[in-house]
Amino acid sequence: MEKMSVENKEQVEALEAQIESLQAEVEELQRQKQDNQLDWFHFKGHTREAMMFLCKQRPEQRKQTLVSKLIEEGEELEEDLKQQTQMNGIVLNGITTKTLQSSSRNLIQQICISGHCSDLVFNVEFKLSEVKEADRSERRITEMNVVLDSFEKQNFSIFLSGVEESRDLPLFFRTLRTFSDRCGDRSRAFLHFKDKFPSLVSVPGCCRSEVMTLNHPQIPSFMLFFHWTINVSAEGAVSPHIDLLTKIPKEALKLFPSQPVGGASEAFHSLQRILGTEAAMESIIRAVGLFPDNQSECEA
Amino acid sequence: MERASTKGVLGHLSLLETQMRSCRGKHQQLNRTEQLKAKVEALCVQKEQLKVELHTLQRLQKVRSTLDGNGADDEMDDDSENADILQLMAKCARLKDLLHAHHLIGGYDVVKTRQDKGLCITLTTAYEGIYLDTYHLEMDLSPKLRISRHDIPPFIPLNSLVETTTQTALRPFLDFLSQHLNAFTGRKQQLKLVKEQHKSVEVMESNVLCSVLVLLVRVPERKLPVLCILDYTDHSRSLPTGVKFECDDEPPNFEQWKKSCRILLERPVHKALITMKSLGCIV
Repeated sequence: MEKMSVENKEQVEALEAQIESLQAEVEELQRQKQDNQLDWFHFKGHTREAMMFLCKQRPEQRKQTLVSKLIEEGEELEEDLKQQTQMNGIVLNGITTKTLQSSSRNLIQQICISGHCSDLVFNVEFKLSEVKEADRSERRITEMNVVLDSFEKQNFSIFLSGVEESRDLPLFFRTLRTFSDRCGDRSRAFLHFKDKFPSLVSVPGCCRSEVMTLNHPQIPSFMLFFHWTINVSAEGAVSPHIDLLTKIPKEALKLFPSQPVGGASEAFHSLQRILGTEAAMESIIRAVGLFPDNQSECEA
Repeated sequence: MERASTKGVLGHLSLLETQMRSCRGKHQQLNRTEQLKAKVEALCVQKEQLKVELHTLQRLQKVRSTLDGNGADDEMDDDSENADILQLMAKCARLKDLLHAHHLIGGYDVVKTRQDKGLCITLTTAYEGIYLDTYHLEMDLSPKLRISRHDIPPFIPLNSLVETTTQTALRPFLDFLSQHLNAFTGRKQQLKLVKEQHKSVEVMESNVLCSVLVLLVRVPERKLPVLCILDYTDHSRSLPTGVKFECDDEPPNFEQWKKSCRILLERPVHKALITMKSLGCIV
């Protein structure tokens, strides 16, 4: 009897040691699972079923049904994303999420979102912390960092530093979209005039050009430029501004020292106030090309 | 035994008791080993399960990063068991993440209702990195664009706005609405922060739209009270369009107040007050 009890004691000790090491292993695995970027948060509905199927927790599930359910879910999500992209005018290419801290009360994630809004390519990185309190939760962005890759980035510089400081992510995207819409207006207008008056109007550079040139074929040294800039204020207000610039040989200026040419920009601005932007531009073009009103170049 | 026979019945009973006790002890010991063995078994099962889960997660992660375009391409020909399911799962997870990202950047959450005849739109507002209230719109798309239900504050002229909106140009309408709502929540949040952060400043007056704010501040000299009136005429902005100071006594230091005016026009009011304090304009 004595002997048996000693044997038992040894066995108990061995088992206890085994349990301890197993517990440590389980804890380590759980930690690894938590560290994994794809956390269980993603697995809801069919994806959760699929996860359980893959982990062999649900041997009774038929694979074929699962696959068709997943395909269906994927299609629905794709449709949603298409709609969201169209509505927001912003294409998102990727998001990476890294959980920095996670407990039942708060969650801190490092998020990086990349995408583009027409040809403005952006990359935004920020920390998102979520604190749950009783019945509501507060989400807060900290440490925001924006990288903008485009020709127009200098227009944004003041706004960008302000928005990074105020961490106003939605404001950044609203401004980006409005800016891109205004750029669209500009290139459409330039294209329209180029099509309507091909011998007079030229737009140097790509469709994002800020300048449209007017040049009468018979007077090559005389040129007018529309300089159409789109400014972004520190607050995020987007406002277009058009200037009319002239390039006239000195000899010609000596012959006509009168005001009109010198004050071209001011004159254009008053015209713009009366007629609106496009009509004002058109009347200038007609004046340069010596076209009568309501006639395009082809008809003249 | 001998002692038992000598001590009679009582002795016998006590002997039986000791025997019982040792027997129970042995039994208990056996029970304990059984328990421990069961625990070891349970832990082994848990460990295996976790290993499988972790392995699956890692495989999923690999497929996912290939989808995102930053994984190595040679990982793609993973024809192992259930690779198709992994592919589908990674695709779903990626799409869900992108939808979540749209939400985070303040995008308009749109849900089609009634066989595409209606729309539900959610507008998010945020101020200085904190997500604030959300507002909702329910719209009929056909036969005519119409807002059927909403919780937008009444001072935003929704209906006249909708009349100028067409089905294809919903975005300018939503942009306008979002700008106004964000400006409004921004002003509201600033007022809240002034009350929280500036105990020495008294809020004398404000309205529901938060378009007027009257503050009572005190100048360092003799703690004279000065009324500071902020006017937010442009409802699409969260910064004031006009600042006025009113004082019963002699007019205060003109240069200094001009500077204060500029600060209040350029910065959110709770921050402007901090700057004014540090410059010694107010206490």
